[in-house]
Amino acid sequence: MSQASTTNVKIEAPGLGGDRIARKLIDNSVWVLLALGIVIFMFLSPKYFNPFNNIQLYFNIPMQASVMGVLTIGLAGTILLGDIDLSCVGMMAVSSATGVLIFKNFHIPGVMAFVIIIAVGTFLGFVNGLLIAKLKTVALIETLAMNTALTGVVLAITRGRTITVSEPEYTWLGQSKAFGTVPYLVFILMFVYIIMYVVWRKTALGRSFYAVGGNAQCARVSGINVDRTRIAAFTISGMCAGIAGIMLSSKMSSINSVFGQTYGMDIIAAAVIGGTSLQGGIGKVSGILGGVLLLNFIQVGLQVLGLDSYFVQMATGLIIMLAVVIDSLRIRFQARG
Amino acid sequence: MERETILEVRDVVKTFGATRALIDVNFSVGKGTIHSLVGRNGAGKSTLVNVIAGVIRPDRGSVVFGGSEISGLSLKERQKLGIRLVTQHASIVPDLDVAENISMGLWAKNRLRMIDWKRMHERAREVMNEFGLDVDTRKSVRHLTPVDQRKVNIIRALFGGGKFVILDEPTTSLSSEDRDNLFKFVREQAEKGITFILISHYLDEILRVSDEITTVRDGLVFPNMKGDADTHDKLARVIAGEDVELVTRDADKTPSADVLLECEGVSAAFLKPTDTKVYRGEIVGYVGFPGSGAREICTMLYGLNKRQGGIVRVNGKAAEIRRVSDALKHGICYVPNDRHADGIVGIMPIDENIGLSILRDKLRSLFGLLNLSKERDIAARSVETLKIKASSIKALANSLSGGNQQKVVLAKVLACSPRLLILDEPTIGIDIKSREEIIGLIKDLTREGMGVIYLTNDYDELLRIADRVVIFNDGQIVGDMENKNLTPETIIEIRDKNERVAAE
Repeated sequence: MSQASTTNVKIEAPGLGGDRIARKLIDNSVWVLLALGIVIFMFLSPKYFNPFNNIQLYFNIPMQASVMGVLTIGLAGTILLGDIDLSCVGMMAVSSATGVLIFKNFHIPGVMAFVIIIAVGTFLGFVNGLLIAKLKTVALIETLAMNTALTGVVLAITRGRTITVSEPEYTWLGQSKAFGTVPYLVFILMFVYIIMYVVWRKTALGRSFYAVGGNAQCARVSGINVDRTRIAAFTISGMCAGIAGIMLSSKMSSINSVFGQTYGMDIIAAAVIGGTSLQGGIGKVSGILGGVLLLNFIQVGLQVLGLDSYFVQMATGLIIMLAVVIDSLRIRFQARG
Repeated sequence: MERETILEVRDVVKTFGATRALIDVNFSVGKGTIHSLVGRNGAGKSTLVNVIAGVIRPDRGSVVFGGSEISGLSLKERQKLGIRLVTQHASIVPDLDVAENISMGLWAKNRLRMIDWKRMHERAREVMNEFGLDVDTRKSVRHLTPVDQRKVNIIRALFGGGKFVILDEPTTSLSSEDRDNLFKFVREQAEKGITFILISHYLDEILRVSDEITTVRDGLVFPNMKGDADTHDKLARVIAGEDVELVTRDADKTPSADVLLECEGVSAAFLKPTDTKVYRGEIVGYVGFPGSGAREICTMLYGLNKRQGGIVRVNGKAAEIRRVSDALKHGICYVPNDRHADGIVGIMPIDENIGLSILRDKLRSLFGLLNLSKERDIAARSVETLKIKASSIKALANSLSGGNQQKVVLAKVLACSPRLLILDEPTIGIDIKSREEIIGLIKDLTREGMGVIYLTNDYDELLRIADRVVIFNDGQIVGDMENKNLTPETIIEIRDKNERVAAE
């Protein structure tokens, strides 16, 4: 009976013809933009951007994007809830500085240092979550304060100097390739995104992210533990910051007082370009990956073209604006549906 | 008597994608009349008034107002002509006072182009006198009674020069006395020459108050129903386009002796220590104003509202309900009264909405992953049994009409297989056909032993289906009786007497 009845109900997404294609394009606008970007750059400088001449460039993008990608997906979980985590960079710096100092002073194995870094990041994220969910502090301000405090901690630890960590035991992860072909960093990026895809789409926790971000009051009335969902999102953000900290410190063989600070705005930009709505409740892991790749491609591309770094920043700003416009188009499109 | 025509809609066609919202609509309104628009949710009423107000442009056809063509005019320009669309929430700012709300955009200014507060309040007082509404203009609108808030909303439209006012569901969640009060006010304004278009689901009131009734069904408009459909039943039939049978309780129903829910001395905010029971298969109707304790006991049982004392027993065993998930574990489910705020996640598809309460329960599969195909199955089955009108189970909840959204909420709740179902005004703003479908389904479920608490202020509906009626006032039960020989009047009388009537 139930088998027969299900066949009568359509399961595919609604919409007809042109409408459906337009919606698909808007939903996946980041990949369209990425393709467009590649074509434009190929015209501007065929020598560098033609994949048949210079495939190496296209291999470098995921490598360049790896640290930022891991940071972004953690942040995006909090945006999905309708909150935001501005302390990602601070958590990344403090957790990796802690790990590196313990590694250097107590001569523990490199892998142990990695575990400590992830633990510190996760703990800091958990504290964020606790303060936001239980004490009802506003995420924007609470994480801003946390970031300021953590940046201060890093300054205090490093005293403005660079701490080098050149032991191969620590740097293999950021500087070598698995089987001599694919960098470990790219592996980590892929691993984290696959895990997050499963969490977001296929677990009760991920579904709760969407529900709380879409309508927190309804989520509560439906029996979802909103506080626990919030704490989980911020904890995951902290954990991702820890992982990104390992990746960056291992790649750079060092920690300094401005560790990772260039990522501050870029990760928010990448999440928004990737289709994560700042209103909460809308976002896709694949889109966020696209956003990260797009932003990195443009930044790398402009540098290859020989543009000054302030142009690169300007371009990043323009892309974010474009993303925001697309976001509002998406909402208008849905309202019509 | 022949009245001067103030508005004419000619041959209007409007399509949204593949749906035809309005099909060759011709429709006219006489000056100084109250013209009601009735129809099911999604029938095209809102599209029609939006075309008139200039919110939506039709694909074809024209709108003529006061003898001149206004099809090309914008919403703003039409407002200048006196056309106003008054929706339930839109135009009132609760934290501003009455005078500020009324003067918004039409501020009285002094020589320095600053707002002249004194003159603004004087003017507001004059206006209030003129419209016969006795309120303090310095009071913030939030603190007015619901019916006065609605009146202020209408006065605001009239004060700004409104001559042709469209009222979209002006009486939702008002009590029946307040509805009468509001309609009396509207009638007084109509007699002064203001024209009203009224959209409402309360058919009895529509029949009483309107000069003319137009039915909208599937994009088609059937004008001038007033003469033919002069009773509730006839009108309901025209709206649905078929016979709608009103669901009533079975007269021979014998009450079960099994106690499903027992409250002993339970108390909460706005609820004094209270004893009450629900039996298996019983529909108990709860009556009471906001703050009377009726809603408070419901939300307390569902874990949304803190219990301050007493014991709740489910099937004879004490149930510790601290949060919603505890209530769900005991098989207590709740349909909230505000489906937009509490019932649905608009930007989620239907199937995911339906799965929300069973994520960690029925949908849980290996490694804590969600069983998504089971979710789709449950959703597809609910769409069939509840007759949810949607293009697919992946359609966003936002895209559905009110009645269908409420069915999604119900589907979500029923997916938990409730033992006790608490319904908080489940039929507000829902068309008759959906309403009767929902009530009928609830009645069917009680045959299988589910107990129902049905909280409503629609006494006709209540008396049609409740087996027992419990009346709350001032935080306590003031009446608890079998639904035998009860009328809405007796219920109001008992409710207002504020004395405990011995429960027999």
